[in-house]
Amino acid sequence: MQQISIAQATEGMILAKDVMTTDNRVLCGKATALSASIIERFKRMDITHVTVEDYPVAEKGAKSLKDELLAVEERFGSVRHIKPLMHLKKRIQKRLAAARQTTPPSSDRGEAT
Amino acid sequence: MSQPLSPEREQRRAAIREALREVKNLPTLPGIISKLTKMVDDPDITTDQMGKLISKDHILAAKLLKLANSAFYGFPQRISSLSSAIILLGFNVIKILIISASIFELMEDQDVELWEHSLGCAVVCSVLAKHLEISDPEEVSTAGLIHDLGKVAIKMELPKESETITALVGSRGISRFTAEHELLGLDHAEVGGWLAKSWNLPVKLVEPIAWHHNPAGASSEPMAAAIVHFADIIIRGLGYGHGRDIWVPTLQSKAWELLRLRPTDLDKILENVEEKLWDVKGFSLEIKMEAGGVGSTSPGRG
Repeated sequence: MQQISIAQATEGMILAKDVMTTDNRVLCGKATALSASIIERFKRMDITHVTVEDYPVAEKGAKSLKDELLAVEERFGSVRHIKPLMHLKKRIQKRLAAARQTTPPSSDRGEAT
Repeated sequence: MSQPLSPEREQRRAAIREALREVKNLPTLPGIISKLTKMVDDPDITTDQMGKLISKDHILAAKLLKLANSAFYGFPQRISSLSSAIILLGFNVIKILIISASIFELMEDQDVELWEHSLGCAVVCSVLAKHLEISDPEEVSTAGLIHDLGKVAIKMELPKESETITALVGSRGISRFTAEHELLGLDHAEVGGWLAKSWNLPVKLVEPIAWHHNPAGASSEPMAAAIVHFADIIIRGLGYGHGRDIWVPTLQSKAWELLRLRPTDLDKILENVEEKLWDVKGFSLEIKMEAGGVGSTSPGRG
């Protein structure tokens, strides 16, 4: 599940959560596949974000988990003596690992590495 | 006995302070702020009149609404018009939003990475402020948004020195803060503090900007300074640094004690931050798309 900006929405993405209007009515139910016209309608209705299935939008850099964890290690490199920050580092790393695990192994996403 | 700076260094520092004080190249805050401040003291002024004044500046009004609906303020309702914004949020928040919108523009033009770092920091500030249940979360978010104002000022007023600082950061693997001290004998927090003060920003913004690397120095707003200090740490920990200055800065123990966060709080905070960061990414993209000329409304010149 990933929350994306409407600017990142493309046809075929599946809604993972209901899309609500500004006055809290359901505009489009979850499990709906997005089409160009639905996306257009969302834009017209001032919807800024939708939550979709999987992780279709690659995050910046799209590094491997190992590289990500190493990068966290490096960023915290000069504060190794500060206990609360080491705890913060561990939590960030744990969350990174957990986020990767929830991505279902999709067979035909066809994205470039 | 404290070690005094050498006379040369002291002189240089004074010269830089002077140059930055003049802030020739830095835009001033829009005159609308002082007009609005006068308006709010006048009991006969209606929200409608106030809305009219703000809407005279279309770009500012649009930015203000966008900010009001963005993740780092996180108001529960969607705010679709200026007059409802004024009624729902109140004048003080509106004033803060206008300040943010103006400074924001300045930062966004200057340096995308710094801008993303600032947006992220504002998000963390907003999450921390809500978690700690402090009374004015909007001000703290705004302080987070503009905490690195001094970097923009240094870049605009001292472009050569700023380049040297960037080079030092890259070649020696040190933080900008350290490089600034080595080269200028002062740092962006101090500079940002002067500038915020010269703009007559409220002390709730001035202190967290001036003391975000040393929150113990904040005399009237130690909590706001501690929040921005720790938000800077978290957002850097999450990978939103500034160029090659990727480092997580040191945590001041006094600030940590003031925040009284338990280790278990961190997970909840990180979760909220991550969720909101998605919104900010969207926000950032939307602005970029608009800047890219989608439906550009600016009339052609001559």
